[in-house]
Amino acid sequence: MNGHDIFAVLPAAAFSEPWLRQIDRIASRLIRHAAHHTPPSLQERLEEEWLAEMAGRAGRIARLRLALGCWWAASAIAHDWAASGVAATPGSSNTAAAYAAQEPGFLSPRTAALILIACLHLALIYFLAIGLGNRTVAALPPSIVTEVRDEPRSHQPPPPPPLVRLARPPIEAVEPAIPLSLPTDADPVQGVFERPKESPAAPPPKVGDRIVGGPAKGFPATADYYPDASRRLGEQGATAVQVCVDPRGRLTSEPTLTQSSGSARLDGSALTLARAGSGHYRPTTEDGRAVTACFSFRIRFELATPR
Amino acid sequence: MGKRDRDVRMSLQTLRVLDAFLENPADELAGADVQKRSGLASGTLYPILLRLESAGWFISRWESIDPSSAGRPRRRLYRLTPNGLARAGEVFASFGRGVPA
Repeated sequence: MNGHDIFAVLPAAAFSEPWLRQIDRIASRLIRHAAHHTPPSLQERLEEEWLAEMAGRAGRIARLRLALGCWWAASAIAHDWAASGVAATPGSSNTAAAYAAQEPGFLSPRTAALILIACLHLALIYFLAIGLGNRTVAALPPSIVTEVRDEPRSHQPPPPPPLVRLARPPIEAVEPAIPLSLPTDADPVQGVFERPKESPAAPPPKVGDRIVGGPAKGFPATADYYPDASRRLGEQGATAVQVCVDPRGRLTSEPTLTQSSGSARLDGSALTLARAGSGHYRPTTEDGRAVTACFSFRIRFELATPR
Repeated sequence: MGKRDRDVRMSLQTLRVLDAFLENPADELAGADVQKRSGLASGTLYPILLRLESAGWFISRWESIDPSSAGRPRRRLYRLTPNGLARAGEVFASFGRGVPA
């Protein structure tokens, strides 16, 4: 058993029951020894008195403290009696003188008591410190050891991925409800204004020499009024708007919605666009003379297909 | 006969012991009882008890019990004598305000 083992075993032994019983024995011996250092006339009385007090104390530490205190008291009592030279109790007038004749020797009882108290405190502190440390170490889990092993790697190629056969759903071509006519050099987003009356295939209807008006040069671009939310949601559609335009191409009243695109956002933007285009309309002409008239045209919002 | 009154050294600890007895002067107190009331350690208490007993302020006797039937040893009981009661009263009257905390 090396020194470290001794330090590990000592605290456990200090708190075992036989050793705890030893504390009471040590306390009793201390009291008897202390009483014997008092004047002879008081020795028997103080020993019995202090042992009775010790029996009434609960706890070994309290009893040990009492014994140490009695040791201190004995030295003080002996000092008092030796200094006063007066009998301790009636009928023993020579007690003090007899006690004074006893030389304290190399170590006086008070000095010895101090040394003993200091040693006991040091021992108590040591046992508590080591004992607590020992319990903490015992409570710790065993250490985890990580071992790195070099295992030969297999050079086999990885297994091929599993074959997944994807079913190809049939594609059904649906005829669009609205005919699409995209110019080849169109902007990513652009509006197409349908003027049925002005299509080459169908010339604008004429009442006499009446030519129905429509958006003219300088009319705002549809892309500038395409709602951002509609772009993100992929909303497309065409809105029919009716406007009343004077001979100078300006609106005479608020544009109205004649056919919805199905999207409130697109319809609102179409009305805003028609309102912003005031002054850029081509007026309706009758017999070559511009007149105030109302006409409808369509504003189409379309997202450009990725190139 | 013990020491005379003038020989009793009146320290703060002595005043605390006297104060513990003056709570009820007729009480007989063991050392542990005085210790609880005064808060003094045993190393300080017993020399004071013996000093005051020697001066005639206290009188002590053994507790009148049968240790075998009581299951514990007999204790030493201390009590103020009439002279000690009068002298303690004079001491505290001279201070006027009891024992300082």
